[in-house]
Amino acid sequence: MKPALISRPLRGFLLGIAAVLAFVAIDGTVQTLLAQTPFGGPRPSAEPQVYLEISSTIRRAKTDGSAVWTLLAISFAYGVFHAAGPGHGKAVISSYLIANQETARRGIVLSFVSALLQALVAIAIVGVGAFLLNVTAKTMCGAERAIEIASYGLIAAFGARLVWIKGGSFIRALQVSPVGAVALAGHPHDQGHHHHDHGAGAHQHGHDHGHDHQDSHVHDAHCGHSHGPEPGELAGPGGWRRGLAAVLTVGVRPCSGAILVLVFALAQGLFWAGIAATLLMGVGTAITVATIAVIAVSAKDLARRLSGAREGSGALIMRGIEFGAAGLVLLLGAGLLFGYIAAERATCF
Amino acid sequence: MRRLLRRLMAPLLLGMLIFASGAANAHPHVWITAISELLYAPDGSLTGVRHAWTFDDMFSSYALQGLETKTKGVYTREELAPLAQTNVESLKEYAFFTFAKADGKKEKFLEPIDYYLEYKDTALTLHFTLPLKAPVKPRQLALEVFDPTYFINFDLDDKDPIKLVGAPAACQLKIQRPNEATATAQRLSEQNFMNGDNSNYGAMYANKITVDCP
Repeated sequence: MKPALISRPLRGFLLGIAAVLAFVAIDGTVQTLLAQTPFGGPRPSAEPQVYLEISSTIRRAKTDGSAVWTLLAISFAYGVFHAAGPGHGKAVISSYLIANQETARRGIVLSFVSALLQALVAIAIVGVGAFLLNVTAKTMCGAERAIEIASYGLIAAFGARLVWIKGGSFIRALQVSPVGAVALAGHPHDQGHHHHDHGAGAHQHGHDHGHDHQDSHVHDAHCGHSHGPEPGELAGPGGWRRGLAAVLTVGVRPCSGAILVLVFALAQGLFWAGIAATLLMGVGTAITVATIAVIAVSAKDLARRLSGAREGSGALIMRGIEFGAAGLVLLLGAGLLFGYIAAERATCF
Repeated sequence: MRRLLRRLMAPLLLGMLIFASGAANAHPHVWITAISELLYAPDGSLTGVRHAWTFDDMFSSYALQGLETKTKGVYTREELAPLAQTNVESLKEYAFFTFAKADGKKEKFLEPIDYYLEYKDTALTLHFTLPLKAPVKPRQLALEVFDPTYFINFDLDDKDPIKLVGAPAACQLKIQRPNEATATAQRLSEQNFMNGDNSNYGAMYANKITVDCP
């Protein structure tokens, strides 16, 4: 009896680790591939040249209308590869999706919403600042920095909320898990129901549930998920609102590359081309972020499948992963806010 | 408890790795073509560095946005003075991307002097002089110009990017431009280690200048 109780959570834990490592390996591979192709092989300086090509193409578009098509193609490609760099909310969105039991489909939609929002904010800043008011770069950069701080603050606040919710689920899962039950080994129980019988006063919902289940899986529908959405609940309107809150924290911060391109296009008298380029960059960015988001969601599904069948320990691992991902959102927000994590800088000098 | 800690390690590790792999792919948004002069005193000691940094045309347009001028498209040194002021003030935060070592010892620079901007062929060039805090007369001087975060890409100009002004005749100048093959190898190994420390990512794109004065 005793060895089985210990080895099960361990086995689940190891499987969880394996899933996480697989995710990291895939993520790294995808990013390396994205960074390398198709612009002339594995050169880290390939992308810079693509970026420089944007400016020369805009210049060319002044006299040669067909250059606009080239511009759009370059911008799209640039967006795809550019998103592999820091910023763009990739880490925050992936962590959010892991913290909540989000579907891949939702991950894709949220990635697109955040990337397009980033593009629209960039267009709004340059459209209002440079086009309408003709302010200096210094002023625009000030606005960019203010938005940036707001975004980081929102990420941190959102992360804190997630930590609060997921921390509760995690602690509840800890209380009902067989790991906790090991301490009670030898105590006589009905099979499978032992984990509701701690005797510790903190456990107020001890008798309310678990009896209408087949023996070994007991708390899935109750404790573990009481504050997190059921998979079926995800399609509901409330779930979308939560997801949109997540992408808003990320999406309000524009990409400084897009702002440079827009101001440059404006100076060349081709503001509309800059807007089109920015939107296509956004689509490209969305594709990369969505790919990573889908990998994150799949990795978590895999972890769930590998560990989920193993009664309490599986749920505990899942709650632990969710709690960790929630903590990561908070850490990212705080790190960005206080400058411990260097994100893409605003171009202020 | 130990088991619990180990459980918590996994998601944390996951997150850190996602983040580290992302940060390793930083790439520049601003390009600078640099020409620099090393300034020597009559006694053969190095007194400072004079830079002329030409920005790419995209950043140049961006920086000029909203600047009022008498003649459209023409920017005089006086009209650009406030922008030059902003430039040197902001560059201070990044130690002017100029890192000097005299016989292995780090040297400090004072605030820049004689700075101004020049606009020519759709590009802005920032001229400024960084005086050394105390003149040095090392056997070997090592100077690096780069952005550790690689937001800015520094290229030395193709022709004679570094000049020795008033240096003793025996001094020998060596220039090492960033090597793309090395950069790739370093980048990959950095990803393999994923140590999360990307603060000095740009160092592999550093331009290394050494002056040996026997």
